[in-house]
Amino acid sequence: MNVRERVVDVLAEVVAELLRDDLRRVLLGEDVRDGGMLGLSRAAMRDPALGLRVLATPLTPATNLAHATGLALAGRRPIVLLNSATALLEGYAALRELGRVGATANGERAAPVLIVAPTGPGFGLGGDGADSPDAAIAAVPGLRVVVLGDASEAPASLRAAASFDGGEAPTVLLLPRALILRELEAHEYKAQLGRPLGSARVVRPGAAATVFAVGATLDAAFAAVEASGVDAAIVEVSGLAPIDETGVLAAATSGKLVVTHAGGRSHGAGAELVALLADRAILHLDAPVLRVTGDDGPFTGRDEFAGLPSVAAIAAAITRVATY
Amino acid sequence: MEPSPWDPEGVEQSLDAEGLLLDPRAAQGLDLRALYKRMVAARLLDLRLARLGLPMWVPSAGEEAATVLSATLAGPEDWLYPSVRDLALAPIRGMDLDEFAQQVLGAAYNGRPGAVAAADLGIGHAPEALGLHLPLAAGQAHAQKLAGPGRMTAALFGEGLTTTAMFHETVALAVACDLPLVLVCKSQLWPEGAPAEAGLLGDSVAERVKACGLWSRRVDGADVVGVYAAIDQAFRRARDGRGPGLVEVVATRLQAGEKSADVPAHRDPLERLRRHLDREKQWTPTFQDVIEAEVRGQLDRAFTHAQRHVAEETP
Repeated sequence: MNVRERVVDVLAEVVAELLRDDLRRVLLGEDVRDGGMLGLSRAAMRDPALGLRVLATPLTPATNLAHATGLALAGRRPIVLLNSATALLEGYAALRELGRVGATANGERAAPVLIVAPTGPGFGLGGDGADSPDAAIAAVPGLRVVVLGDASEAPASLRAAASFDGGEAPTVLLLPRALILRELEAHEYKAQLGRPLGSARVVRPGAAATVFAVGATLDAAFAAVEASGVDAAIVEVSGLAPIDETGVLAAATSGKLVVTHAGGRSHGAGAELVALLADRAILHLDAPVLRVTGDDGPFTGRDEFAGLPSVAAIAAAITRVATY
Repeated sequence: MEPSPWDPEGVEQSLDAEGLLLDPRAAQGLDLRALYKRMVAARLLDLRLARLGLPMWVPSAGEEAATVLSATLAGPEDWLYPSVRDLALAPIRGMDLDEFAQQVLGAAYNGRPGAVAAADLGIGHAPEALGLHLPLAAGQAHAQKLAGPGRMTAALFGEGLTTTAMFHETVALAVACDLPLVLVCKSQLWPEGAPAEAGLLGDSVAERVKACGLWSRRVDGADVVGVYAAIDQAFRRARDGRGPGLVEVVATRLQAGEKSADVPAHRDPLERLRRHLDREKQWTPTFQDVIEAEVRGQLDRAFTHAQRHVAEETP
């Protein structure tokens, strides 16, 4: 019988493994000593050897990222587990400082902080718990911001994000809520990414159109290509900052482009991609570049799935560009 | 002598208004002549900085005791997170004056004008967001705690920050996580009424944080010996793993101009210490002239070099 494991449980094992692998790493976040809201520190807390590096703190939304930055400047490698990506907006000043600190201190004081936060709809929470502040986070200079698009890559993405071996920028790994409660068979999880974290990846070849899908919209993009009957390529864009421009532009040659992501269209993550395509892929373009996104909001209560584009809307956009 | 409205109430006094050392044991281990030189240097630096026209620069004359003694008492493995009013601590920590002047002018360390930092000297940088150096210092202190006792981090700031989330959250972090962190808060008295921005809530910052479970002491910033004793105790407690603390140093800003016209001379920590040295026959006008000339010369050289460097770098 195949064992099925939830993404969050697999990630919890990776968190414990990361603490074991590097004694500089410490775990921070709300209720981390109780496993955390997503259970991501549960495995670490089961290992008595790791407990001392699981640091409980009071609720300090304005300062927790600066606290982590201070630890990192002092040689630690903090992993901050947040309950929601919107928590980064409560600590925006500290997030901006985290992005800036490497440049401020003459490059002498790097701050290898990894922030892991769920984003977008998926838990049925509505409101902040369905919001996708991804673009607001990616707009902070000096950060690397990556959105998970494929649940099977969750453990490998977390490992890659935590390594900082190449002196990478402070990193935010956003986990779409729609993906992380899924169950996969153990063998389906990839041990290695096999490409740089944040690079754009062609996940389905196709010549008639190209769909650039961010985060949780990747599955919907597959369903939409199927439904449209168009031979469209699908490109997963996981790096919001920096954007893998080479990878994105290389995939734009069909000239019929659709961009899809969770969250609102206005000032959303897709705006930057579309601007890049308009700027650098102009000679390929044979149709307007369409964006298919969630509603702009604001969201209240349980407006949950207004935050994600529907398969039908993506399919309609594919058909429109393909027949333009 | 009758206390003036500028004198804080409810603080222990070590050096009285006339410069009399009330308890000689309080100054044990303290070279008061050397400290006086550092205080004079800090004041002259402030005057030099006032002439540079730095953006957003604010004077710190009158507040030197907290800055100078924090720098003097911090050990080589301790860290200091200064505010932009604490530039004088960098040369005391050993920063070369040429490097210092270039940093102050914004021409080194990729920093901003009017701020200093040096990782090798344990001087944290001053972030631009208001009060953000407090939680950065808390993180530094947390890393020190994980490494074992013997080291601490201090953050310096003015009492205006004590209404911010940054301050309250840092107090919560320090207490809940028992961090080797010392908050050195420079407060002012406002005999003619405090503006809302002064952050005055209740009697004193030191009293306020006690309710949060934070060890604290309140001292008179014009009394360098009292400031020495309080900061020394707070730093030792933190290093020994006995917990975080806050030292509130009540200082009187000595700005030029009409506002300070009626501030009595004994509110100036330099003047009070000078009176003491004079009593002890350790001060003469010549001594004063010599230190002033020496410091002025060093500052002039360093800032002239730095300004020339900036002019050469600017296309």
